[in-house]
Amino acid sequence: MFSGKPMKPTFKCYLPPVQTDRKTIDPPIKKLEPNLLLGEIVVNEVNFVRKCISTESNQDDLWGKLICTNFKVSFIPQDAPPKQKSQLSHLLLGEHDIPLTCLEQVVTVNDTKGKKKVLGSNQKLKFNPTELILYCKDLRVIRFCFDEAGPESAKKVCLAIAHYCHPADLQLLFGFEYQGRRYHESKGDWFNGSTPRGGLQTPIFDRPSDWDREIKRTGASEWRVCSINEGYAISPSLPEYIVVPVSLADQDLKQYSIFYSDKRIPLWCWNHPNGSALVRMASIIDPLQQRKIEQRIFSAITKSHPQRSEVFRSDLDKSLPNIQDIQSAFVKVRQICVLDPFEESEERWLSSIENSRWLEYVRAFLKLSAEIVYHLDGKTSSVIIQEEEDRDLNCVVSSLVQLMLDPHYRSILGFQSLVQKEWVMAGHRFLDRCNHLKKNDKEESPLFMLFLDCVWQMMNQYPAAFEFTETYLTVLSDSMWIPLFSTFLFSSPKQRAQHLMDFAKNKAIPQGENPAVYFPPVWEWSQQFSIKDQTLFNNPMYVGKGAACVQNGEVKTFRRTKQKTYSSTLRGTPASVRNGTRGGEDVLPRRGSLVSELKPDFSPVKDESPSERFFRDWFSRPTDQQGVLIPLLMPSHMALWKLFFLRWVPEACIPRGGPITTFHKLSKLVDEIEILQNQLRQYKGPSPGNTPLPSPSGPPSDQRRMYFRANSLDDPTTPPDFFTSTFPFTPVGNLCRRSVYGTPISKFLNGARIWLSTETLADSV
Amino acid sequence: MEKSGSIDSLGSKRSSSRQPSVDSLSSTSTSRSDRSAQAKPPSAMSSDSVSTSAEFSPELRVKPKVLAKKVLRNSDKEEPQLLPNETVQDMAQDITYFCPFTGALRGTVTVTNYRLFFKCMDREPAFLLDLPLGVVSRVEKIGSASSRGDVSYGLVCKDMRNLRFAHKQLEDTLRKSIFEVMMKFAFPVSNGLQIFAFDYGQVFPENGWKVYDAVSEYKRQGIPNESWRITKVNDHYELCDTYPSTLAVPVNIPDEELKRVAAFRAKGRIPVLSWIHPESQATVTRCSQPMVGVNGKRSKEDEKYLQAIMDANAQSHKLFIFDARPSVNAAANKMKGGGYESEDAYQNAELVFLDIHNIHVMRESLRKLKDVVYPNIEDSHWLSNLESTHWLEHIKLILAGALRIADKVESGKTSVVVHCSDGWDRTAQLTSLSMLMLDGYYRTIRGFEVLLEKEWLSFGHRFQLRIGHGDKNHTDADRSPVFIQFIDCVWQLTRQFPAAFEFNDYFLVTILDHLYSCLFGTFLCNSEQQRLKEEIPKRTVSLWSYINSQLEDFTNPLYVNYSNHVLFPVVGLRHLELWVGYYIRWNPRMRPQEPVHQRYKELLAKRAELQKRVDELQREVTNRSASSSSERAGSPTRSITPVQTFV
Repeated sequence: MFSGKPMKPTFKCYLPPVQTDRKTIDPPIKKLEPNLLLGEIVVNEVNFVRKCISTESNQDDLWGKLICTNFKVSFIPQDAPPKQKSQLSHLLLGEHDIPLTCLEQVVTVNDTKGKKKVLGSNQKLKFNPTELILYCKDLRVIRFCFDEAGPESAKKVCLAIAHYCHPADLQLLFGFEYQGRRYHESKGDWFNGSTPRGGLQTPIFDRPSDWDREIKRTGASEWRVCSINEGYAISPSLPEYIVVPVSLADQDLKQYSIFYSDKRIPLWCWNHPNGSALVRMASIIDPLQQRKIEQRIFSAITKSHPQRSEVFRSDLDKSLPNIQDIQSAFVKVRQICVLDPFEESEERWLSSIENSRWLEYVRAFLKLSAEIVYHLDGKTSSVIIQEEEDRDLNCVVSSLVQLMLDPHYRSILGFQSLVQKEWVMAGHRFLDRCNHLKKNDKEESPLFMLFLDCVWQMMNQYPAAFEFTETYLTVLSDSMWIPLFSTFLFSSPKQRAQHLMDFAKNKAIPQGENPAVYFPPVWEWSQQFSIKDQTLFNNPMYVGKGAACVQNGEVKTFRRTKQKTYSSTLRGTPASVRNGTRGGEDVLPRRGSLVSELKPDFSPVKDESPSERFFRDWFSRPTDQQGVLIPLLMPSHMALWKLFFLRWVPEACIPRGGPITTFHKLSKLVDEIEILQNQLRQYKGPSPGNTPLPSPSGPPSDQRRMYFRANSLDDPTTPPDFFTSTFPFTPVGNLCRRSVYGTPISKFLNGARIWLSTETLADSV
Repeated sequence: MEKSGSIDSLGSKRSSSRQPSVDSLSSTSTSRSDRSAQAKPPSAMSSDSVSTSAEFSPELRVKPKVLAKKVLRNSDKEEPQLLPNETVQDMAQDITYFCPFTGALRGTVTVTNYRLFFKCMDREPAFLLDLPLGVVSRVEKIGSASSRGDVSYGLVCKDMRNLRFAHKQLEDTLRKSIFEVMMKFAFPVSNGLQIFAFDYGQVFPENGWKVYDAVSEYKRQGIPNESWRITKVNDHYELCDTYPSTLAVPVNIPDEELKRVAAFRAKGRIPVLSWIHPESQATVTRCSQPMVGVNGKRSKEDEKYLQAIMDANAQSHKLFIFDARPSVNAAANKMKGGGYESEDAYQNAELVFLDIHNIHVMRESLRKLKDVVYPNIEDSHWLSNLESTHWLEHIKLILAGALRIADKVESGKTSVVVHCSDGWDRTAQLTSLSMLMLDGYYRTIRGFEVLLEKEWLSFGHRFQLRIGHGDKNHTDADRSPVFIQFIDCVWQLTRQFPAAFEFNDYFLVTILDHLYSCLFGTFLCNSEQQRLKEEIPKRTVSLWSYINSQLEDFTNPLYVNYSNHVLFPVVGLRHLELWVGYYIRWNPRMRPQEPVHQRYKELLAKRAELQKRVDELQREVTNRSASSSSERAGSPTRSITPVQTFV
């Protein structure tokens, strides 16, 4: 009866282990139930599915149940491997779940018949699939095998997945079901304001007060909020409230609007402290009227400028790749990073990346934005960026320019308001560009993703300038594929307003309720992540308003009002005079002096253009993290965003390495600082006669900003196991690639390429 | 003979005799800068530079502005700040320097026995170029017959840059051009002169020659033990003249047999221990190729010897022999009497070729890389141009080889033997990199110095030949960037494990700069025997004296000393990067920056400041509560635990 030794209780568990009889293991007794959200229903399911972890052997594969619901594809493993510690966990999605909107392609395979079919909506499948491969928009690739599953149910699940990821109508996206139920069922929590960094704090720019505040903040006194588009009377793709030069009357604007594509009259974006404005504009359709209208608009903008300087126009369609170029570059770079086998793609990795042109485009957008920064900041002239529809390239460029010029947008709240202002409210077609309904592939283009990559490049060069981390950017990009938030679901403000109104009506939500409450934007991060996990968004290095930096014993803080103004008359004066305006803080060597002895030469160069001169001047000064920020733009400065592109690739995962180790150390140090600051505050408490002794633990746990805490007990004798370069994501269990278990290395090394040199072999030393 | 002892006494004698070292800066300041003046760093490789201030002392870079300004004014005297025993050899006016980034500059050139110093005063601030002559690889005279009578000189440098100067045809035809004078001092070896390192008389508080002592390093590793012993058979370099005098070998192989093994190994470089795993006793051993030849010669002693290495590790019944070369090259070496171990002759041994190319391929690759990055980077095709140099691919193969070795020793608990042809280039790269992955000690500053002293210097990497110190024969086929490649690999590791190394990038760049500068004796000569013969430790200063005297500059603030932490880097091109901070540092558009480290230091300062304030307040409160509690008769005072410090 006993095969082998009788089992003993272990020190880990004092209960005797359950004796399991190997023979009775299939079918499993354990019931596998999916975690369903409010309003989520199971459409189809199949048991005994194998989720492939490795292509080489199936010993690490997971067995479980595959389920298709009206929201997601869910896989529930029978014996879930222990969850990795400190891995970002989603409140609404399990580790093996994929929202249906996140599916890029559903492919069924029949191994024995050698057949393969990409499944669309309402399609038939003539063979029983042995495999299902899901290509996801967040770059995951997931493979299921049905060798032990019932062929008919497997087929049904595959068809259901393919069908449900092609919703016929926007209203069928699961968010409309979920948020309605949620609104009614969790109303109580809602109003208790349980969200510390709630979406409600982020201005949505759907009301005049948001714009007013922005005008005041930037000192744009010659600009006003205009409400001619109230009720979308003029243009469906413009917000209801827009900002225009004070010298233009509503009547004029109405008149001009008919000549613009989609009646999009020029839209104010931002004002430089020196008075220059950034304006975005669509093309004028009628060539006969073009000059006249443009003249009036331009002169109105000139009038709104304190120095009445001329307006500079930048035509983005002429100088940047179009949306199809960007889409095809993204497809290529994704191919190289996650689909091509690791070793084969290693050989020509660099030139493959170059050939995808992704980094080239990223650089082009940054470069053009930097040139506009020169005009606004260096030449003190207002700038109009023009694009045929003003809804794609302009979104990227206007937001990048503002990130470079205005430190406010480098805070989390500021960044979110920037996305609201320049993307959501400016009418970027998220619905089409994300292709949520999978209706028109030609309209699909990852412009927002491109923007996030540009932001990452700047963050990579100026790691202390942004309040948020690359984890934040990655999570934001993932959120595009979760159809539960209003941010990325619509193609225009009018469409948004209509759908949300209908939604409120259908779900019996009282009139006058704020849409941000009943259909929250993505900025309501508490919907997706715990308070603790949200601290992964906080950059410990940030030199922001709160975090004054100590430099050479002096505590420096940024004051926006004191920002230097460059007037064009200063150009051509000797360097010493120009330096004189800066309060003589430029004597010290640059911040880079730690690294090498190099003191780059920034002395004047012959035949230099004014813009080159402007950039050289800027780079010759120490960077003020809270001032203007211009990215370095040599091709060698552009890097591949590894966390985003390689996080699901096990082979590219550095065990116990990567930037996380730096993040860990910095977080702990900043946490210590915050504890000390908290103690000081307690000392300086109200009643000096009765000073309480401060608690050494620091602020309460839910108020601590850092993910890694100072007083935690992990001893630095070995780095924690969860330190990998993909932190806080884990490639394990997410990809049907080679194994990552066991010895991490040996397998990947045999592919080392040999090239025979032409040099004499006998000469070899 | 007690070599290290003699060095010690010499070091202290010298420091007392040459105490009053020249330093114009020390007059301005306090005791702290006196110390720093004594440890005044040599003016290492400054580049095309604007700021005159901090050139000569990294210390100044963190000092208040006042001092920096002062130095700025001092430097108006158009004189470079000379090092001890550095003497001006010639000066010339109206020299044009063709800066590839900013165009032609006119100024004066000063040549000393150590450096070339160019200064252009037309600029605000002044433009300076300060070049140790050791970095000059070749001087070309160009276009002397040009119509306007300008004579132009091109300087090809070993550190990834080229410089061009011109001056008017000299009227006095008998007078030598300043560049002729410079050539004499740039190539002292070819001109019967002494390398400047022998003149340099700087005194540092630390004596770098004491950093490495073979016996204590083996002792640190637990050698001798029951399986390994230290032999003095090579005490007079009779067994092998390119090996160190102290060697660690298996216990059961007597010295007599070692000699017979030496006869079968190229240049007598027998397998000896480099590193032993503290737990499994698996070892990394290094040697040269076996002299197998076309006829497949065998050596019983050699076979027995490798068996002994295997037996010394009880954990495994296998031995891995890593031949660094591509198998074709290894086979081709049979024609010259060399070759590789056949698995027939060596029972239980498995031979693996690592496909790393020879010194000529590496030299060519770096030359191509220089073409791609200097002076300018083309706007398009950057990545494919970089790919065409194969530089990163070579880096990958070397790191991959080292990783396989580390993996076998750590995960497989198996001993390994590493060799290439002679065992002083690729073998040194592989053993030192794998030791860096396996042993955290080598990731400290001192540990890394020990690693270089041991695996590179004492085991006879031929620095003199590979770098060509002071030798004008720039076409010498023995020159090769093997060591640069190694430092590059180390840099790649620091990128992947930012908290695992005690040193920073600046440390690595400094090592490479002084690899060429000929200021220190560290990288002179080809072997321990030569260094001893030339009395290098007596007559020159060690680079480690300079570095260890101001560790602050070279320390990575993020360092965490994880014990028993083995590094397994990803050696894919996805994670390998070009070290732009070294290869492209001359380009002014490539600004060096390391804000993460800087930010961390700022935060440390802030924490210290806050902690101080909290402590003060705490003292105040305890005093107050003590006085009040005495009234209330002894209520216990709570004490406050200070915030735990991790650094």
